[in-house]
This record gives sequence, C-alpha cells and structure tokens, in this order.
Amino acid sequence: MIVSFNYRNRHSLLERLDPRARWIFSLLVLFAITMFWDVRFLLFFLALTLGQYYLARLTWRETRRAWYFVFFIMTTMVVVNTIITSSGTIGAAMKGTHTVIFHQFTIPITGWIWELNLTVERLWFAVTQVTRILSISALFLVIPFTMDPRQYGATFRGMGLPDRLAYTLDLAFRFVPTLGRDFQLTLDAQRARGYEVEKVEGGLFTQIRKMAPLVVPVTMNAILSGEDYANAMDLRCFGLRKRTWIEKLTYHWRDYLWIGFGALLLIASVVLSLLGYGEFWVPSILLQ
Amino acid sequence: MEKKSLWAFGTREVVYAAIGAALYAVLSIATNFLQIPAAANVSIRPAVAIPMFFGLAFGPWVGLITGLVGNVISDLISGYGFWPWWDLGNGLIGFIPGLIYLQMTDFRSLGDIIKAEIMVVVGVAVGMFVASVSEIWVSGIDFATSMATNFVPAFISNIVNGLILVPILMIAYSAVRGRSGR
Repeated sequence: MIVSFNYRNRHSLLERLDPRARWIFSLLVLFAITMFWDVRFLLFFLALTLGQYYLARLTWRETRRAWYFVFFIMTTMVVVNTIITSSGTIGAAMKGTHTVIFHQFTIPITGWIWELNLTVERLWFAVTQVTRILSISALFLVIPFTMDPRQYGATFRGMGLPDRLAYTLDLAFRFVPTLGRDFQLTLDAQRARGYEVEKVEGGLFTQIRKMAPLVVPVTMNAILSGEDYANAMDLRCFGLRKRTWIEKLTYHWRDYLWIGFGALLLIASVVLSLLGYGEFWVPSILLQ
Repeated sequence: MEKKSLWAFGTREVVYAAIGAALYAVLSIATNFLQIPAAANVSIRPAVAIPMFFGLAFGPWVGLITGLVGNVISDLISGYGFWPWWDLGNGLIGFIPGLIYLQMTDFRSLGDIIKAEIMVVVGVAVGMFVASVSEIWVSGIDFATSMATNFVPAFISNIVNGLILVPILMIAYSAVRGRSGR
C-alpha cells in the first residue's frame, strides 16, 4: 500500500507560483545563505525565509513535527559538533582564544585525553550556526507541505532533466512516506518481539549489527515491492517514447518576478562576499 | 532473463534508484532519532550501507542516484539545507561499488562478499575525499584540518557501517532474489 504526503491546497500566494520558480528561488537563496557566516546577514535571511513560511499559511499543528525534528537535529549538531568536539566548526572559530571554560579529563580504561576548551568564538559560532540552520530549514520546510506531490515529475522535467531522471525523482519523493511508514511498522514489530534499540551495550560493532533487524526487513520488502512497480510500469510501456505529463506548468509574470528576486539576492550576496563581507563575525563587546 | 549491462538505465533502474533514494533518506532520518554517540566522532549511521548495496545489486547509476538523491532528500526533510559536494560524495559511495555489478553473481559466496567489501572501502575513500576537499573552500579551512575533522571521521564511520551491514544485506538479498525469480 502506498501512503502519500498530506497535501491540501491552501490557495496561498506561494502555491500560486509555479513550482519550478519556487525550486529555482529556493536554490538561489540557499546558495546566497551558504556564503555567510556573519550573523547580521543571516538574520536578514532568517527574516526572509520566515516571511516565506508565513506566506505559505501553514499552521503550527501541521508543521509541528517537522519543527521538533529540526530543533532536535540542530541541538544535537550544535552541542556535539560545536560545543563538545568542535569538529563542526569552521577554521576562524576554531582558532578562537577567548576561553570561557577549560576542562581536561582522561576517559577511563582507554586512557584517551579529552579536552573541553570552550571559547567565546565557539559559543558565538553556535549562535551563528543556529541562525543559519533555522533559515535554511524555514526555506525548505515549506516545500513538502505546499507543493502538490503530483507535480514533482513535471517540475523536474520542466527544469531540464531527462524524462527518466525526472520520473526517478518523482518516485523517490513519493516513496518517502510509504517507506517511513514501513520503517515505523518494522520498528514496532521488532519491539513487540523484545528488540531494544535504545539500549546502549556492547561495542561499536555490536551496536551496528543490532541495526540489522531494522534495516534488513525494510530494505528487502522495498526491493520485493520494487519488482511489482517495475512490472506495472513495463506493462504501461514506460520509457518507449518521450513522456507526457498530466500536470501542465506555465510560467506567469509573478514567477519571473520571484526568480528575479532570488537571482538578485544571490548576485548581491556574491558581490558582498567578494568585497569581503560576511566572514565569521563576533561582536567586539564579547571579545574583551 | 535479459543480459545485464553495466550502464543501462531502464524501468527497473528507474524504480530501484527511486526506492534506494527514498530508503536512504528514510533510514538516515529514522536512525538520527536513535542516535547513539559512540567512541570519538564515529556516529552510527547505518543507512550508508543502502547506497553501497544498491550499487552492488543494481548497477552504478542506481548507486549514484541512491546516494545523491537520498542525501538531498534527507537533508531537505531534516532541514540541513543543500550541500552539493557531500551529496556528490554520498553518490560516489554508491557509484563505485556499482562498477563491479556485473561480477556479482552469487551474493552469498565469500569471494563476492570480499570483492564487494573492497569496493565499499574504495568508494567511501573517494567519496569522502571529494566531499572533504570541498570543505576547504566552503568552510574556509586548510587541507590538514579538513582531513582531520571531515575526512577521517566520515571515512571511519562509513567504512565501519558499510563493512558490517553490506554483507548482511547481501546474504539477505540472495535469499530474497530466489523468491522473486530474478
């Protein structure tokens, strides 16, 4: 059985735009955002993407789970990568010398020395990182909720990809909710049999091997059902000729305007970063 | 049964590339919830075995799309954004094992498993190298830092996950393949 993304047309301004224009805009803005590590610029982008989120007329109830997920990932990433291990930071933030906390201790048995050297730079980097992740999340979070899943194929085809590749992407997006459901079912079924995934025990190898009862059934079921999909598509002569799509997409003036706005933002960002703005920045008050 | 060709991209490949990508995305997201930080920086992301296995079982293009698109989708849904070089790196993790797709005849035999494991190691090395080198200009760090903070942790964690889970998937697949008649 196939589960699909919940989609209902809200007749918002965003949904009246052509999906191609929205993908192009999102990618342009994304590239613009990735140029900056300066929180002042990132706050502008956060405002922009939250504005887009507001235009989509989504309610908290609908997006709640997605946001929880973003917050969860963000917290793990910031706490583990930036504050504890510093492996997720960029060069400028790692060289910081304004220490807030310095702590060193030896991990028992293995004898590895673990150093916690928390600097102002790294804490501020964490703030910057949160802003950056939030703006990128808000930018893309609206897509699954406000794009008609039936249009994905036509959208990617319209953006110049060959038929088969566009269809692959369309199918990939469609399979996500189905496989998500399958994963949840498998997890529940294995838990009912006494499988404890959260239990931390054994070494790294044991823990990875413990994933097999989850990964193997989901993968093998997906492969078996794939044979059915392939047969069904072959029966309908998939790929014999150039494909036609049920959904027709046409650009309107507002779509050009939207793409133009995105292009303008990217060009402005490129110019600014070439002029040397947007590098990692820490307020000077904090550095005293 | 029709003759296999390494670079074909027909209906089966379309379907399996899509399934692989969706599966990679779902498993990466799902196992993030079950995240258990293990020793050092090695996080348990068992989903990396999916692009490797799909490459081995369905050819290089399927492996490439599985890794690349799966990574894009999982990053989109989890709000990481879009990191083209890491997506490419993940694609290569699936593409390179796919190159011995034609030599894979018996997924249960020791010889094929060893061949597969060697390609998994090569694939991870190349894929993660490409992605780590991109960090030199994306994040503005030098070569040594990029190797230490990006390449080594990503390489080790992917290798460990791949080496353990790919053979398990291969043996399971050899049983399933008999049932599905392919």
